[in-house]
Amino acid sequence: MKIVVTVKLVPDPNAEKRIDSATKRLVRSGVETVLNPYDEYALEAALQLKERAGGDTSVVVFSMAPEALKETLRKALAMGADEAVFLSDAGLEGSDVWATAYAMSQALKKIGFDLLIVGGLTDDGSTGAVPGALAEHLGVPCITNARKAEIADGTLRVERETDSGYQTVRGPLPALLTTALTFGEPRYASLKGIMGAKKKTIAPLTLADIGLDLAVGSDGAKMQLEAFAPPPARGKGRTVEAADGAAGAQAIFDFLKEKKLV
Amino acid sequence: MKNVIVYVEHRRGETRKVTFEMATEARTLADALGGQAHAVIVGPGATTLAEQVKTYPLNGVYVNDDPDLDTYLLDPAVDYVEAAARAIGPSLILIPNTLSGRDLAGRLAARLGAGIGADVTEFKIENGTVACVSPKMGGALITTCAIKPAEYGIATVRPNAFAAAAGGAGATMQTLEKPSGKPYAAVIEEDVEEGSGELALEEAPVVVAGGRGLGGPEPFDTLLKPLAHALGGAVGASRAAADAGWVPYSLQIGQTGKTVTPNLYIAVGISGAIQHKVGMRSSGAIVAINKDAAAAIAEFSDLLVVGDAFKIVPELTRLVEAAKA
Ligand SMILES: Cc1cc2nc3c(=O)[nH]c(=O)nc-3n(C[C@H](O)[C@H](O)[C@H](O)COP(=O)(O)OP(=O)(O)OC[C@H]3O[C@@H](n4cnc5c(N)ncnc54)[C@H](O)[C@@H]3O)c2cc1C
Ligand SMILES: Cc1cc2nc3c(=O)[nH]c(=O)nc-3n(C[C@H](O)[C@H](O)[C@H](O)COP(=O)(O)OP(=O)(O)OC[C@H]3O[C@@H](n4cnc5c(N)ncnc54)[C@H](O)[C@@H]3O)c2cc1C
Repeated sequence: MKIVVTVKLVPDPNAEKRIDSATKRLVRSGVETVLNPYDEYALEAALQLKERAGGDTSVVVFSMAPEALKETLRKALAMGADEAVFLSDAGLEGSDVWATAYAMSQALKKIGFDLLIVGGLTDDGSTGAVPGALAEHLGVPCITNARKAEIADGTLRVERETDSGYQTVRGPLPALLTTALTFGEPRYASLKGIMGAKKKTIAPLTLADIGLDLAVGSDGAKMQLEAFAPPPARGKGRTVEAADGAAGAQAIFDFLKEKKLV
Repeated sequence: MKNVIVYVEHRRGETRKVTFEMATEARTLADALGGQAHAVIVGPGATTLAEQVKTYPLNGVYVNDDPDLDTYLLDPAVDYVEAAARAIGPSLILIPNTLSGRDLAGRLAARLGAGIGADVTEFKIENGTVACVSPKMGGALITTCAIKPAEYGIATVRPNAFAAAAGGAGATMQTLEKPSGKPYAAVIEEDVEEGSGELALEEAPVVVAGGRGLGGPEPFDTLLKPLAHALGGAVGASRAAADAGWVPYSLQIGQTGKTVTPNLYIAVGISGAIQHKVGMRSSGAIVAINKDAAAAIAEFSDLLVVGDAFKIVPELTRLVEAAKA
């Protein structure tokens, strides 16, 4: 069985974000690039399924990003993925959800998979719309937000979290699955994993390799980012030392009254 | 894009406030674009719910009570909304920014060749072009993106961002014929509802959130819930509290949890880590109760009360209850 995991490379979510007032762009200098947090959970799910299936199951990670970010993908190899495929091309710049999903789907058709595991949401664009768009382009079932999954006789059976509880859902393979954070904490890369990752391959792909029928990048995008702005400023407020419970409660109550919140 | 279509997410005829926020905004958008505003409601309970949706300023409501929506995961909904969009003609489709809303948006975008504005809190229309304003990266920046002129566009709409106001032209109701598409692939074998009766965290006007400072699961029930109920709100939590198993992950707020934007956020025993901050910093007013005057949460709270949560919260609940009586 071949499991492919998609991984986006994003600015470190733990770094404070700043907008350059002149360029109105996000300041990227001094901010590390990391694996999108949700995608580490997707990879963890793939590694667990591989461990359970045994045999000749392989886990391939796939990412689409600017060439300069390629080595970041090694962390996924260190966590336990067997190989990586990296789609990079200047022609992809300015892609929106539609173009990203279309280009990715054509590359994924070329790579081939029995199960495609995708993260639920990214930390930068955070549209959460790529999984659904990918499933349509690939013509496979789309089962999202899984906290448990098992595969038997070509059928994927999933327990998925919903806004109001959970569901058990089944579908035939090949299929697309996205994982919830309850699937399991991503494992740390072991020293052996880190050493081994240096020898694993990151296979490059360009647009010429996948041959697209439709335009991608800014030309193909159906949506265009026009402006970035900082959020309305929120200054440090008041601090009140409460002598006792009643005084603390009164301070809050007065604040709520002043703001017409009670 | 001329007309506006509202996708109504519901469970057996019960929907959330965001439906009415979208229905209200749809009218404004349709008027600006020179088209009509419609709603699509499919699945068991659709017809009953349509009576309620019709009281909002829409031109038409398309319904089908098709039981397949309870049997198959989203596949029938995608077919129905695509069919409605093709019947209504060039349009902007509004979908709530929820778990299944995002799935639906992505799938329709691929089918209709549509651009997506994600997590929209404001629309700007100029010369027929729709621009979407959304807070990104946990509110660290505000983006404006324009959907390029095309037949169809999609926006996932953030709950609580638009006002809901009933009234206006009596919408006509009509049946949306079942589209003949591919066989449905994903079968729902079991559907379990948990924690019903509580207000959805993302839509609550007030959120009272607890962290590691509460020391265990009980204070969420005995301390926070009474305050949340007194204020007409919901209980949330930091990841430390969810990781400890004190509350389910569905209550976690932050980078790897939910993003909330209530009018009032009360953080109890939460230190204010950046990963927590990104899930709540766009709230109206922020109040923190913490033993530590130097806690990071002071940097982005309107009011920090330094003291013991176990002493302050019950007193505060009493004051709020008394003011209501
Ligand atoms: C601040 C900002 C705002 C944006 N707003 C919008 C917008 O409103 N509409 C729009 O169409 N585009 C938007 N974009 C562009 C969008 O981020 C990219 O097109 C992106 O590649 C796909 O969308 P996403 O990040 O939202 O992915 P999501 O749909 O949130 O990602 C879900 C999963 O898809 C997989 N995935 C996504 N992208 C990649 C990739 N490049 N390589 C490998 N796996 C991937 C990952 O597994 C990920 O967890 C925005 C970008 C930024 C930086
Ligand atoms: C990749 C990643 C993703 C993450 N995602 C999230 C996320 O989505 N959401 C999230 O919340 N965190 C997230 N975290 C974790 C985050 O970094 C913090 O560890 C977490 O938010 C801390 O939770 P806390 O504030 O409840 O606990 P602590 O930091 O331990 O703070 C407890 C606070 O309670 C106060 N206190 C103690 N006793 C009392 C009392 N009796 N009365 C009043 N105050 C008291 C203390 O002074 C302290 O400030 C993430 C971390 C990582 C690495």
